[in-house]
Amino acid sequence: MIELKNIEKYYASKGIKHYVLRHVSTTIKQGEFVSIMGPSGAGKSTLLNILGMLEEPTYGSYEFMQEDVTNLSERKRIELYRNHIGFVFQAYHLIDEMTVYENIEAPLLYKKIGSSERASRIANLLDKFNIVAKKDLFPNQLSGGQQQLVGIARALAAQPSIILADEPTGNLQSAQAEEIMQLFQKLNREEGITIIQVTHSEKNAEYGSRILHIADGVIKEDIPVLTK
Amino acid sequence: MFKLNLKIALRNLWKYKGYTAINIFGLSIGLASCILIFIFVNYQLSFDKDYANGDRIYRVVSSWKYADGNDFKSAGVPLPLAAAMRNDFSQFEHVAAIQQSGGIIKVNATATKSEIKDSETLFYAEPEFFKIFNYKWLAGDAGTALTSPNTVVLSEKTAKKYFGDWKKALGNSINFDATKDFKVTGVIKDNPQNSSFPLHVVMSYASYNNRNMKHWGSVSSSSECYILLKKGINPSELDNTLKQFIKKYYVDNGPGKESHHFQALNDIHHNDDYGNFSGLITPYKQIIGLAIIGLFLLITACINFVNLATAQAISRSKEVGVRKVMGSRRNQLIWQFLSETALITAISILLACVISELTLPKMENLFGGDVNFNLFGDPLIFIFLMALLVLVSFLAGLYPALIMSGFSPALAIKNKVLANAGGVGLRKTLVVVQFAITAVLIVSTLVVIKQMSYIRNKSLGFDTNAIALINLPYDSLSLTKHNTFKERILNINGVKNLSFNTSAPSSGNNNETNFSYNSSKDADFQINVKPADDGYIKTFGLSLLAGRGLSISDTIKEYVVNETLLKKLNIKKPEEAIGKTLKLWGKPGPIVGVVKDFNNYSLHEAIAPIAIFSRKKNYETVAIKLEKNEMVATLKKIEQAFNSTYPDYVFENNFFDEDLKGYYETERIMGTLFKVFAGVVIFISFIGLFGLISFVATQRTKEIAIRKVLGASNFELVKMLNSSFLWMVLIANLVAWPVAYIFVSKWLSSFQYRTDLSIWPFIVAMLASISITVFTVSLRSYRAAKANTIDALKYE
Repeated sequence: MIELKNIEKYYASKGIKHYVLRHVSTTIKQGEFVSIMGPSGAGKSTLLNILGMLEEPTYGSYEFMQEDVTNLSERKRIELYRNHIGFVFQAYHLIDEMTVYENIEAPLLYKKIGSSERASRIANLLDKFNIVAKKDLFPNQLSGGQQQLVGIARALAAQPSIILADEPTGNLQSAQAEEIMQLFQKLNREEGITIIQVTHSEKNAEYGSRILHIADGVIKEDIPVLTK
Repeated sequence: MFKLNLKIALRNLWKYKGYTAINIFGLSIGLASCILIFIFVNYQLSFDKDYANGDRIYRVVSSWKYADGNDFKSAGVPLPLAAAMRNDFSQFEHVAAIQQSGGIIKVNATATKSEIKDSETLFYAEPEFFKIFNYKWLAGDAGTALTSPNTVVLSEKTAKKYFGDWKKALGNSINFDATKDFKVTGVIKDNPQNSSFPLHVVMSYASYNNRNMKHWGSVSSSSECYILLKKGINPSELDNTLKQFIKKYYVDNGPGKESHHFQALNDIHHNDDYGNFSGLITPYKQIIGLAIIGLFLLITACINFVNLATAQAISRSKEVGVRKVMGSRRNQLIWQFLSETALITAISILLACVISELTLPKMENLFGGDVNFNLFGDPLIFIFLMALLVLVSFLAGLYPALIMSGFSPALAIKNKVLANAGGVGLRKTLVVVQFAITAVLIVSTLVVIKQMSYIRNKSLGFDTNAIALINLPYDSLSLTKHNTFKERILNINGVKNLSFNTSAPSSGNNNETNFSYNSSKDADFQINVKPADDGYIKTFGLSLLAGRGLSISDTIKEYVVNETLLKKLNIKKPEEAIGKTLKLWGKPGPIVGVVKDFNNYSLHEAIAPIAIFSRKKNYETVAIKLEKNEMVATLKKIEQAFNSTYPDYVFENNFFDEDLKGYYETERIMGTLFKVFAGVVIFISFIGLFGLISFVATQRTKEIAIRKVLGASNFELVKMLNSSFLWMVLIANLVAWPVAYIFVSKWLSSFQYRTDLSIWPFIVAMLASISITVFTVSLRSYRAAKANTIDALKYE
């Protein structure tokens, strides 16, 4: 599904190159649950951003679903966002002025899905995540864990084939974090959704099927997780 | 502390250069317009304020009520009135008649200068006039200067013109109309430009002669009468005496019921029911209209300020939090923010002074260069500027200051002040107000432009093109020369037609009189008379509906009337009137023709019933229709012919179309001011909107980024940002429409002839504000949509 070859990323400042990523090559297959780990400033988030096409690599090639996306047109990229990629953020990034329901509905509107279909999908998600009662509340009326649930529901609304999550539990208490991780695992196993997450926590990484250790912009280790 | 605050204020202004520029620029343009309006209004209100007894000076004016419901008003009074009032009213300290007239002044050549021959507007005034109005006398004595016949008082400027130096004037003589010599007995200081009394040459009233000197039935607007009330007398106490006075003197029953009214001196410049000697009138409603525009300008500029400041508030929440933790009280913070606003306002006012200084000459041009405006000419301007500074600082600064100083320190320090804290609702309301004002002004401006072009293009019913109007002397000697003059003019190449007459079809010179139609009884309304020769209809291109034009005659022989007369007399077909007898000025004669209606007044007024007839004695003007392409050369020849026929007189020529434009002078000035200031308001709203959308875009960066990763395209984002503003514009227009409708229909109703008020100006205003909004918002929001997503989504 994802094929990275020799990805490099640096920022030039006063003639000096600051490398964030060096010679990153890896392949991620459909249905994998990958955790990217590493110390602060290692380049985890940059890698995830590149995977999510939010940033462009300085060098190297990136194939997403057998298609070179290193120099993708705006329109094609939006197409991918609408149909294949769902984002989950550490700070949830829900839209404050919208209710839970409307937040989940937003990607469906951009995907131009009919209203009845929309309603049934959202109902389904609310039900699945146990937040039906909260659908008319605004994000600031929810706890962090609940907000993240909404964030994930929103990411899933467009039925993406891959979810990119940047420290999805970074702002949460451990109990809530565990709940989210279990949800990810369930989504991965039962619905076959590819998940790539950046995390600090060894424990959270264990929920995945594979761990990429990054340090100083280089993949140091690429180990599968033994399923318990 | 203050110094520190000032430093911080300056740093903050510098940090947000863009917004500061928008604020200062918008504010200074708005303030400059306010200053200009202030100077204009102050000038208009300063008329006739220089007299010591100003509050006790009144002008006696006349009015007539007619049986058909019309009434007629005049600034003039019957000639015997002044003397009668002096006799009958014990409440008056002084009564003075003053008569406007004109003539040829000749001053003999002296060793140092050549002969002067001038056609002058001059006045005959009773000596008491100068007791009522305290002029500054450079030479001579106010009490005695005009007591004997054949004496004259000159203004400083005129004295200088005639004698080289005003000091040489006293005791010298000037010659009037080649018949009489007047001895200069006084020199007064020139009137300021803001005066309704353009006195240059004032002759003693004892030298004035008129056949109506004893007639109560005849009134000319040039015969005015002023009174000075005794101290402590209220004009309402005069009612009874006035009633008896009218009963006593108006014994002949005319069709109109005579009445008089005491008009306060300070009303003379502002009441358009009556004229005045200077011809300058600015009704209060126009001054108020302008003041309202000024207020609008101030409000829009302040709204910009409030919007930008409250939007900016978030970025300063941390500072507020820290200051509060350090022990600053809310009051201190409020003062800090207010002084920042005051700083911006002060800078803007300085800039505004520069802008208005630069634009003042443009405003002077608007008045044809007759008026000098000076930015600091009146010390009142400093008070005005101070008032502006305080007003704008509070209006614009208080609300943002309250908002910012109200942040809770704990939340503020943690940067958790909600984005809505700046009062999104209020901001939206203000934008709606701003756009409503803009829409009102767009509609009004469009209607004003449309009405003015309607006036320009409306067919008045006569020809105005290439017609020269030349004043003729009409003393008995000159009258005998009219025919010779006519011969000579007709022989000049380039002259198509000419007509001797009292006044052109539309003119400020109007006379009305009683008449009877086909009966011995007078009609219950008066008829407008236009003495004119046989060439009148052809020269002015009037069209005949029935019958023929006048035949050659020097006295009243037959009449041509207009449609309106027939309508008022209930005559259905013009043919019916032909051959019927009309009697006016005691002379019966048959109606031989009916002309199609033409506008004999400005388009503010309805057409009057008119009779045209020959009467050589009344011809004061000759109208000459010229060949368009050789007008200059032809006029030269006409001037030569005039000078050799009437050597004692001065050739004065006006073009008819130029004369007519003078009717709408106020409208033209107001129209231009309106257009300019409406443009300024639109511009201010435009940059204000730009500033606001910049802030909205910044505030919604995160949301925009989220939406982008959810799959929104740039176009969809621009559309989204636009839609919220478009709603506001739509609401603003809905609010503006009824207000604008009331304004413009009121303004239009002052014109008897007016363009239809269509829906178009309203639609155009809406489309214009929508397109301005879409343009501004798209410009800025596209940049926001294009911005880097990842920066916005980074975890703070």
